[in-house]
Amino acid sequence: MSNILRKEIKLSAHILSFLFIGFGVMFLLPGYPVLCGAFFICLGIFQSFQNTREANDILFSILLPISKKDIVKGKFLFVCFIEMCGITVMFIATLLRMTLLSDSKVYLKNALMNANLFALGMAFLIFGCFNLIFVRGFFKTAYKFGKPFISFIVANFLLIALAESMHYFPHMKSLNAFGFEHLGLQICLLFSGILLYLLLTFIAMKQSFVDFEKIDL
Amino acid sequence: MSIVSIKNLTKTYPSFQLDKVSFSLEAGRIAGFIGRNGAGKTTTIKSMLNLVHPDNGEIEYFGLPFLEHEAEIKKRIGYSTGTVNWYPRKKIKEIVDVTKKFYDSWDDDSYRKYLRMFKLDEEKTPLELSEGMKVKVNLMLALSHKAEVLILDEPTSGLDPFSRDELMEIFIKLKNEGVAIFFSTHIITDIERCADNIIYISKGKIVDASSKDTFKEKYTKDGENLEDAFLRMERGED
Repeated sequence: MSNILRKEIKLSAHILSFLFIGFGVMFLLPGYPVLCGAFFICLGIFQSFQNTREANDILFSILLPISKKDIVKGKFLFVCFIEMCGITVMFIATLLRMTLLSDSKVYLKNALMNANLFALGMAFLIFGCFNLIFVRGFFKTAYKFGKPFISFIVANFLLIALAESMHYFPHMKSLNAFGFEHLGLQICLLFSGILLYLLLTFIAMKQSFVDFEKIDL
Repeated sequence: MSIVSIKNLTKTYPSFQLDKVSFSLEAGRIAGFIGRNGAGKTTTIKSMLNLVHPDNGEIEYFGLPFLEHEAEIKKRIGYSTGTVNWYPRKKIKEIVDVTKKFYDSWDDDSYRKYLRMFKLDEEKTPLELSEGMKVKVNLMLALSHKAEVLILDEPTSGLDPFSRDELMEIFIKLKNEGVAIFFSTHIITDIERCADNIIYISKGKIVDASSKDTFKEKYTKDGENLEDAFLRMERGED
């Protein structure tokens, strides 16, 4: 499996997939919807899928001594690898806001969602949706990526809008915890996001196995 | 013994049917798969490699059913098409560096040998290569992992006569090393030049699959060459 991930990184990945991991630092931006960072990371991954199609990567891969399932696994491994790199950057940014920068006035007066563990959980959820809507959508044909990506954009911005507005709902202020406030709840929300990510990615991969096996190339 | 055996391969599309295609290939032989555009050559080849799913039929390599031993068989075969570019902007050496990890049988000495034989520059990208050179890159990849069977879809299509002749020379050289070659073409002179066997497909059906000599005996009339005979048969004349 390391060989297939190596192939993804060295042959089919687009440089923007790696550079856009840097958008994770958007979690440091005050007065900005921080979850847009997760969207830009997905946009970077999307560039690699464009490359996949232009470079005939799927056809090349299918001729290698691996199964069609392995090709799907390889793509998911690559996507999850980039997503986890993005999460790491976001986590570091969040930790900085929660600790070293906790006294900063720009963060204390932040009108939008704070970068906290709930935000990280939501980033996991956005990545899970990307895997389910876009990556799985791509494997229905192994060449059409426009419609799945537009569907993901709609879902993504609905999720961001929901995350940004939820803490204004009655009794939900603790979602927008600052620093280490409501830590128990925040940790639960983060783990809920992780669980949803795992579940959505698992469903996406299983369904992609089925869809990709059926198609004629 | 046949190292490739195709039996009753059937695939139905709304406007075309591959109808019970059967043939076999032996080690150290070159089989030319001939038919006009749209006769079913590429569909047959894609079915042989599980790129399309046949509705029916048996595909065996080295006596093993393809679908049950796909990875194992793919290690022993090579495929090339004259029409597809892999990773057009990556250097050949980068493509090779990734590809070789998938094959236990990869031999760097063979790789260097074919690099020299085919006069390829590994610093170049496929985008910088001519069509003929691209086919050679695919052949080099296949031969460096010691492929025993080469399946080539229209490898000479789009090549100038000199490059075609050079490629035919390479095929004969490889055949003498024991490699079996199955190549599709609609250029009959390529078949005359190097094929031992001819598999003729028309409208999705195999018309005949036999040795070139038998084929000539059966189908050419007085003074006709193979090209004349094929043209006559395609026109539906006796």
